Amino acid sequence: MSSEPIERRVSYVGDRLRGSKCILCGKEYFDLRDYCGNCGRKSYGKMAPIDFFFEKGKLEVCTFVNRPTNKFTKLGTYIYGIVSFHNEKVRVPGRLTDKLWKEDDEIDLSSMEGREVVPRFRRRYAVKKSEIVPTISLAFTFADEYYLHQEYKAIKPNMEYEKPGIVGYGVYISRFRIRESFIERSVPFIDEDAITAAVEAGKLALIHSGVDSSLIGKVYVGSESNPYAVKPIASKVAQVLKLGEEDKADGVQYVDAVDTEFACKAATSMFKDAASLVFYPDSHVSCAMVIGTDNSQAAPRGAPGGELDFFVGYGGCAFIFGMHDVIAEIEGWHSCTSDTPDFWRRDGEPFPRHGGRFTGDPAYFKHVGKAAKKLMEKLRLQPSDIQYFISHQPNIRFPVRIAKALGFKDEQYMPGLQVARFGNTYSGASPIGLAAVLDIAKPEERILVVSYGSGAGSDAYLFRTTKQLPEKRERQKFNIQYQAQNPYIEYVDYGTYRKLKLGLETD
Amino acid sequence: MSKFPAIIGVGRTRFGEHYERSPEKLIEEAWLRASEEAGIERKDLQAAYVADYFLPITNKFGLEEGFLSELTELHVQMEITRSFSSALSNACNAIQAGRYNLVLVGGMEKMTDRWDKIRDDLMLLEDPWSYYAGCTPEANHELMLRAYIKKYGIKDSELEKLNYALAYVAVKNHKHALKNEYAQYRREITVEDVLKQRKAARKPLGLYDFAPISDGATALILASSEVAQKYTDKPVYILGCSSATDYITFSSREDLTRFLVTRICMENALKMAGISLKDIALVELYDQSTVMEMVSLEDLGFAREGKAWEAIYESYQNHDGYYIIDGKRLYVNTNGGLKADGNPLGATGGAQVFEVFKQLRGEAGERQIELLSEPFYACTLELEGFGTKGYVYVFGKELR
Repeated sequence: MSSEPIERRVSYVGDRLRGSKCILCGKEYFDLRDYCGNCGRKSYGKMAPIDFFFEKGKLEVCTFVNRPTNKFTKLGTYIYGIVSFHNEKVRVPGRLTDKLWKEDDEIDLSSMEGREVVPRFRRRYAVKKSEIVPTISLAFTFADEYYLHQEYKAIKPNMEYEKPGIVGYGVYISRFRIRESFIERSVPFIDEDAITAAVEAGKLALIHSGVDSSLIGKVYVGSESNPYAVKPIASKVAQVLKLGEEDKADGVQYVDAVDTEFACKAATSMFKDAASLVFYPDSHVSCAMVIGTDNSQAAPRGAPGGELDFFVGYGGCAFIFGMHDVIAEIEGWHSCTSDTPDFWRRDGEPFPRHGGRFTGDPAYFKHVGKAAKKLMEKLRLQPSDIQYFISHQPNIRFPVRIAKALGFKDEQYMPGLQVARFGNTYSGASPIGLAAVLDIAKPEERILVVSYGSGAGSDAYLFRTTKQLPEKRERQKFNIQYQAQNPYIEYVDYGTYRKLKLGLETD
Repeated sequence: MSKFPAIIGVGRTRFGEHYERSPEKLIEEAWLRASEEAGIERKDLQAAYVADYFLPITNKFGLEEGFLSELTELHVQMEITRSFSSALSNACNAIQAGRYNLVLVGGMEKMTDRWDKIRDDLMLLEDPWSYYAGCTPEANHELMLRAYIKKYGIKDSELEKLNYALAYVAVKNHKHALKNEYAQYRREITVEDVLKQRKAARKPLGLYDFAPISDGATALILASSEVAQKYTDKPVYILGCSSATDYITFSSREDLTRFLVTRICMENALKMAGISLKDIALVELYDQSTVMEMVSLEDLGFAREGKAWEAIYESYQNHDGYYIIDGKRLYVNTNGGLKADGNPLGATGGAQVFEVFKQLRGEAGERQIELLSEPFYACTLELEGFGTKGYVYVFGKELR
């Protein structure tokens, strides 16, 4: 479907699973309604908006689809069924996602019926690369498998800080992985992409922070694998997550949303902008969200740029910045930039290219080293004053070498080194390292994180954790450790990985 | 009611793939046969009501009325509807209102012209939300069966019987189609064939549980009862007709094991005809799948809720072309049903009426059913979408 108004209406309702509830009789509907069929005219103006985005449902009945309609052919075989919410008050059609069926798999439909499921924000079906990317949340996974159901509760903040900082974060890594020699990498399911990972990460950050989504005044999404050359991921995130105040009548969110691009530092670059924005009183922005998301692109092995295909991963990471209930305050930052063309992707090209000799020295090591050193100098800190060091991690060798060169020890940089578990998630790479450290750090510890973006530049930040860090940890079950070591992880071979990675495109 | 509409002639094409023929050619054949049987000329027609679901999509037609006009050189009122039953409903209304007394009702479809995309079209027609969620034209039938099994707690040997009963539905309909010169599939299939296809599909229903994609056209000439008598002494009267509508999204409906529209339609049509259910000996129902035939038997009231499969299973043990339900003989889909006769959407309802017309007049040839009692009434059930819309007609040979 390439009709823009239809696409707008379907995704407006379907992405968030919006519904209506009659205040008079309590009847619930999927889709937006101005009046209740039961109550008729007297129910005009008495329909309350509801949605099922953060809820869990129950798979009522299901069947196996192995001969899908044309647009679903790329999804292969899947389970399709009916999902109910709110004790069967409302039922929606849906498919199960995140499952690869093999030719000889036994399908026991009754073992799936009656189980709890969670809606997942995904691509709807395959379209041409020139068309609007259709999305929907009528895709589900079982609530007791990889992706947990977690309640989202907006919690009233109780403590204001002097400095801005992180108030919550979320990391989303897909269930599929590829394992080759000493590195494991995350692989998107076929209906996932940079947009879906951004929304998932943002959703998890909301759950962790307890921030009321309407208090978020700006959202930045950094990515280098947006399926669109022109059209932001941030607008999708803002609408699906209902960021900022909602104008219900016209379906508009009062929030600023913008995509940023600077290779792998597109997201980290905006940490300081988000922090400054919430710090400046006249901005009237309580919170700002920064997301790094990538379905890291790489040409197939053997083709030019194919050397990246050994390292690329898939995932998203979101941070919410604010002045209240901060878990890690920003003590300072420092950035550096030079025009170094070590890695690029020209417009219209599907895969990035690598300048080979530039990538390590003088690209990565120079920029990461300079930004880190300058920041430590500025704050008069020695490596021994800092508990954790995280740098951009395109592979294992680079971050280890720079950490050692800067004088950090194994115990300082190893906790933040996640590339061997998830692969290089480009814009999400150093943010995921930071999240991994926040998952385990104690109060009053210093964390130095240095990103690197080809092109080239680095952002260094020094965070200091607060005593609210451990108490908020309880709210996030879907943490790094859970996603790295999960019994439901499914490993795929190289051929499947390439197919999944290229996703629902028909040309 | 003073002006019961009467059918005075019917015509149809063979159903199946008509690769070389355009939709105009198909409807022309059906209309010529119907007018010949009725003994009318095109100039006698006062209006035309013609049905098709997909011609603007499958054959890039805009105004179908235009080519009908070219075909017949008629410049009378013409209306296009989706289903044949819908066209017939409009025609009945016009005749009962006294506006016209001789009209053409037709239906056509050319689904194979869009073989590669028709399943997507069918799903979007059925329900866009289900389509967006990954539904296929088969999936909702399978879900309905799952819901049915769960609701009535059918398991173990009973479940096996139910699965056999559904296979019998397909086998029975193929058997009937053997004697139907117009049917798409005129070959026998076995229960094993049906089960084998289910196994191959790894699903509760397989290829032989579903009606095919077809091309074809049907037509009938409808007259007021007074005018009908001028042309024939054997008119078939439409004694009852009713239509009802339900939610488009199957999952939103309260009961997933039945079609509410069928129940409402049947009740109202019987009331209008002034007869009771037990007077009906023949029903042409909408078996888009074997599950639909089973469920429709319950929805129409012939079988008790959750029990139709038992009746089908028992009837098949010594099958003689009909079901025995509660000790009563009921003929179902004697033309082979949608399963074997074919299902060219806009024309399908016309084939149902065609069969009823021939049977009531005793002109069904090899297929002619044995009538144990008179008077003899028949009914048709046509559905649009997955039970989103329903039509029931009750037919008889005598005016009541």
